[in-house]
Amino acid sequence: MDKIHYFGAAIGLGMIVIGAALGIGKFAAAAAESIARQPSAADKITGAVNLPLFLLEGVAILAEVFVLLIVLMK
Amino acid sequence: MFVQEIAQEHAAAAVEGHAGKFDAGETIIHHVANSSISEPLIKLPTIMGIDFSVTKHVFMLWLVAATLFVVITWLVRRYLKQDRLIPSGAMNGLEAVVEFVRDEMVRPNVGNKWVTTWAPLMLTFFFFILGANLIGLIPIFDVLGLLDHYVLHTAEGSFVKEVMHGGTTATANYNVTAALATITFGAIIVAGSKAHGAVKHWMNLVPHGLAWPIYILLIPIEIMGMFVRPFALTMRLAANMTGGHIAILAILSFVFLFAEMGGALTGIGAGVIASVPLAVGISGLEIIVVLVQAYVFTLLTAVFIGMAIHVHH
Repeated sequence: MDKIHYFGAAIGLGMIVIGAALGIGKFAAAAAESIARQPSAADKITGAVNLPLFLLEGVAILAEVFVLLIVLMK
Repeated sequence: MFVQEIAQEHAAAAVEGHAGKFDAGETIIHHVANSSISEPLIKLPTIMGIDFSVTKHVFMLWLVAATLFVVITWLVRRYLKQDRLIPSGAMNGLEAVVEFVRDEMVRPNVGNKWVTTWAPLMLTFFFFILGANLIGLIPIFDVLGLLDHYVLHTAEGSFVKEVMHGGTTATANYNVTAALATITFGAIIVAGSKAHGAVKHWMNLVPHGLAWPIYILLIPIEIMGMFVRPFALTMRLAANMTGGHIAILAILSFVFLFAEMGGALTGIGAGVIASVPLAVGISGLEIIVVLVQAYVFTLLTAVFIGMAIHVHH
């Protein structure tokens, strides 16, 4: 039982990846669709998508740091 | 901060208890972590409770700062000395990057009025972070370490040996990125105070004209948000840099794990078939990550400063 924290960390990591992938997938889908509808606004759409994308990435990275802490600190 | 300290403890444990068997986790942590504070590269005295000793990451920071200072100053001086206005050679690239940062990242967020005030800070951030990220990706020190091992034969524990034990990314250290984010934190306050005055900036944190019970909830949230933004910047940059290195080293350590399981030939096979191609692929991905992270840090700083200047309430 002394290695059970690895179990929690692994499950947490998996869930982070699921969440982040869902989020990024939605962003990519919406961006591709809107660029297809209005190719002339591609620059603006990319700019608008970028910022929330980085914020999303930041949340995922934070969660990963905490998973790393679980593994390192036990 | 404290992730780094834990990593250092693990690295120290890896060095002490390294008897025979290959331990992937400890080796990787040793390569990613800063050199331990008790055995720095250069021992300097402690002044006012601050230990000024130079560790691996501090050395890398100085190297990046010196390189950027010399290269950029040299390029700009050379350009200013010539008698025509058209830039040539590397100055073209520098000018393109500077214009991109100023016109695509700073100007849309900060606005025309303040762009000249904040563009220098953003440019410094961009070039410093990009340089620090990139220099960790170039294996110069590992190559020099090989040279040391086969040609120079310096003594155990010498300066050369310590420096060459794997080049590291200074921005993968949480202390470094926390310092950078602290500058952002200060810049946000300075920007707001310059645009609206010292008192008005703090009043701008919450919207005006709401019912008073809402403020009880809103003011703590806004104050928390003030600290969360630099914290997120810190974690994003450091974790991205650490994560990439850990991935590359983990894949490369398959070679040794397989060699331990089934002899040297198995290890070489695993290296040729899986490890090296995958590690090359991830290194390619890392080049993109390095550029994107420098971009993101600068862009988010510009956005936060812009939010302090143009209050949307």
